[in-house]
Amino acid sequence: MRIDPANIPIIAAAIAIAMMGGALSIFVVLKRLAFIGQGISHAAFGGVGIALVLGVHGATTVGAIGQLTIVVVFSILAALWIAALSRSHKGRTDTAIGVVLSASMALGFVLFTIAESRHDHDEHGHAANGHEDEHHLIEEILFGNILNTTTTKSTIAVVTSAAILLYLWSARRKLIFWAFDEPVVDAYGHSSRSITNLFLSVLAIAVVMSMQIAGVVLAAAILVLPGAAALNLTAKLRPAFIYAITIGVLGAILGLQVGLNSSYPIGPTIVLIQSVMYLLTLVIKLLAPRLRA
Amino acid sequence: MTAAVEIKSISYTYPATGLDSSSVNALDSVSLSIDHRTKLGILGPNGGGKSTLIKLILGILKPTSGSIQVLGHSPTKARQLGLVGYLPQRIEAQLDWPISVRQTVALGCTAHLKPWKKATAEDNAAIDRALELVELSDLADRPIGALSGGQLQRTMIARAIARSPKLLVLDEPTVGVDIAGQQRFGQLINTLHEELDLTLIVVSHDMRAVAAVADRVACLSRSLHFHDAPEGLTPAVLAQVFAHDVAGVFGDLHIDAHRADDCDDPTHSHASDSCCDHNSGGAS
Repeated sequence: MRIDPANIPIIAAAIAIAMMGGALSIFVVLKRLAFIGQGISHAAFGGVGIALVLGVHGATTVGAIGQLTIVVVFSILAALWIAALSRSHKGRTDTAIGVVLSASMALGFVLFTIAESRHDHDEHGHAANGHEDEHHLIEEILFGNILNTTTTKSTIAVVTSAAILLYLWSARRKLIFWAFDEPVVDAYGHSSRSITNLFLSVLAIAVVMSMQIAGVVLAAAILVLPGAAALNLTAKLRPAFIYAITIGVLGAILGLQVGLNSSYPIGPTIVLIQSVMYLLTLVIKLLAPRLRA
Repeated sequence: MTAAVEIKSISYTYPATGLDSSSVNALDSVSLSIDHRTKLGILGPNGGGKSTLIKLILGILKPTSGSIQVLGHSPTKARQLGLVGYLPQRIEAQLDWPISVRQTVALGCTAHLKPWKKATAEDNAAIDRALELVELSDLADRPIGALSGGQLQRTMIARAIARSPKLLVLDEPTVGVDIAGQQRFGQLINTLHEELDLTLIVVSHDMRAVAAVADRVACLSRSLHFHDAPEGLTPAVLAQVFAHDVAGVFGDLHIDAHRADDCDDPTHSHASDSCCDHNSGGAS
């Protein structure tokens, strides 16, 4: 198979994000953080709105980095807000996510409208094109468009994914302990609060990276499906990580193969393929439970 | 020789939070000295400050006033050095995890390990010994979710002793366990005490659970009401601590009922002055 050099940044970003998503997904699934991932990804929409109102957009390299920085910072703050609200609601994480998700989405849409009206005002006479651009942008943010990945964005995705993988490896012991039995980790020399805050911040960064592939709506799927599928195949922790990364990367490669050679959107195709893989592993788990032993 | 745990006049007040605007005074000027190799049972009613005292000894909470030394260190330092093992009241671990008994026990050794280093031979030997002591060596590779309740508790005890601590804190370890189970638990704790040269703190609201393991008893209900050998414990003290009829608490322990009268008699000279004595923490 011959790879078009123009697609290399896209392929590199998708595979790096899929590897990172696969490794992270084991913790997300086992710590039951799937809904938090969903909350953070929707909250990121508010960050995109802030970037647009501030006039920071991804048309230039500096603009792309600026926009990404604003969205990442906003998403981390949303994640930490969810953690703080969960603590004050005595563990009612669903309530905390509901509050943050709704508030951020509402903020995002209001800011989009403000940015849109400014655009109309500045470029009077080109209102119709302006509306089309804004709606296209919203669609991209909601469902992703990896075809827009520039070399800069791809480099950021690869470096960030590598950094997150390094963090997961270096903190693996305390993360496993925390995810397995959080109520006692403080008594064993760790700090539950600092582990939680750091992990949720990393999750927020991972969600923003995944948004490049799958957008706000589907980003969390990349951080859930590989882990859920892997845990259908094994009852051991180390193989679970290997399977999850493999399933994540395989889904990305197949999705890219389909998407780059057809008119199907790549992000949703990757998520769909990973969903099918999850269903296949579920069938394997049900038909051959001994395989998991 | 310094005591294993030296608690001097500690008080702890939970600050007001959220909608609940009133602060809660959980412990009031408690002093307690626990000698090395003691098996101390801390007895008291629910809400009497037992769990708060444990959190203070573990360094998870900081006292509002007073001081604590654990094995010659601050509680936080002692915990970080792996000198303290802890068994929680409720096992809230995710039992559907793909993790074996041995991996669970190994988690007890994670705090001091550098990310790029594997567990040392000593760590592995300590994990093997912990499994052996709780008689779970044969089940080391079994998934955690496939254990019985008793096996799960022994796994968590093995995790608590995996770093070879010098102080083991057990919070309500026999809640919901029948009398035979409590006796087996007592035997296990005695074995650990002998083999590991441990100082033990067992917290419970159940007199039987404490009697099964302790050679000293401290009665706590916000303040310390008693600290002495279990034989000195009387119905009057328990009535004071539990603030209700204690016949049920005594059960079949056969503690002399007449001691209650002794304690109420102002002319009686106690062989053990700590009987009925408030804040008698230094009695040991």
